[in-house]
Amino acid sequence: MTEVLARRGYHGPATEEAIEALHEEMEALWGDASFVPDVDRMTFATAVIEAAGNIVQHAVPAADKPVEIDVDISVRPDRLVARVSAQNAREPFANDMRAELPDEEAESGRGLALIEALVTTVTFERQDGTNTWILTRESTPAQTD
Amino acid sequence: MQFSYEVKDSYAEVKGVGRLNMVAAPKLREVVAEVVAGGSSRVVVNLAETDFMDSSGLGALIGCLKAARQAGGDLRISGVQPQVKMVLELTNMDRVLTAYPSAEAAFGND
Repeated sequence: MTEVLARRGYHGPATEEAIEALHEEMEALWGDASFVPDVDRMTFATAVIEAAGNIVQHAVPAADKPVEIDVDISVRPDRLVARVSAQNAREPFANDMRAELPDEEAESGRGLALIEALVTTVTFERQDGTNTWILTRESTPAQTD
Repeated sequence: MQFSYEVKDSYAEVKGVGRLNMVAAPKLREVVAEVVAGGSSRVVVNLAETDFMDSSGLGALIGCLKAARQAGGDLRISGVQPQVKMVLELTNMDRVLTAYPSAEAAFGND
């Protein structure tokens, strides 16, 4: 098991409030793990917000219960890992999983392509009514003088 | 995110302070629609104090650009910060949404 140097998370209804709360959790995480280089913070936070935003905008409840979002972000010695889950959600449509950039005039559809450009690996899992995107980005502590 | 705007001689400047994410994106569309409806179709969105943008924020900027062009004008952006620059470049939208160092410079040569 890889050592976890810092960890933050969020759980709640898949609403816009979750997005703002996640921004705050990540700010706190970088406060706890100040050795994470700026470029890695910027890219990884963008990918996590894209994944969470995708759930808030597109996840469809599987039953009567509303979709809930669950996020776990950890800083490891050699990488950043985020598990971004939609609970009580239907399986996403294939259309929502497209990673190509749309044409210039399009006002949506860039999220997944952006995530793929920002992280090292993107993995999707579906288990017991939960869709989980696992994002990792290779990152080693910034060198200090 | 807080938006404000100011109508100048040859353009209108819309300023956004905070994060241009899915929460703020509809507000930006509303503000720019109001500016364009008020007769200013040359719009600069000043992003000097916008420290974050996601794909829904980008989508809103593209929608606002189309609205400004349909009204015979244009939409340009200024004061782009590193995270916003990164999102524009990774989506190849830096070619469509032209970034200027300042709001004054955006329509300076027109």
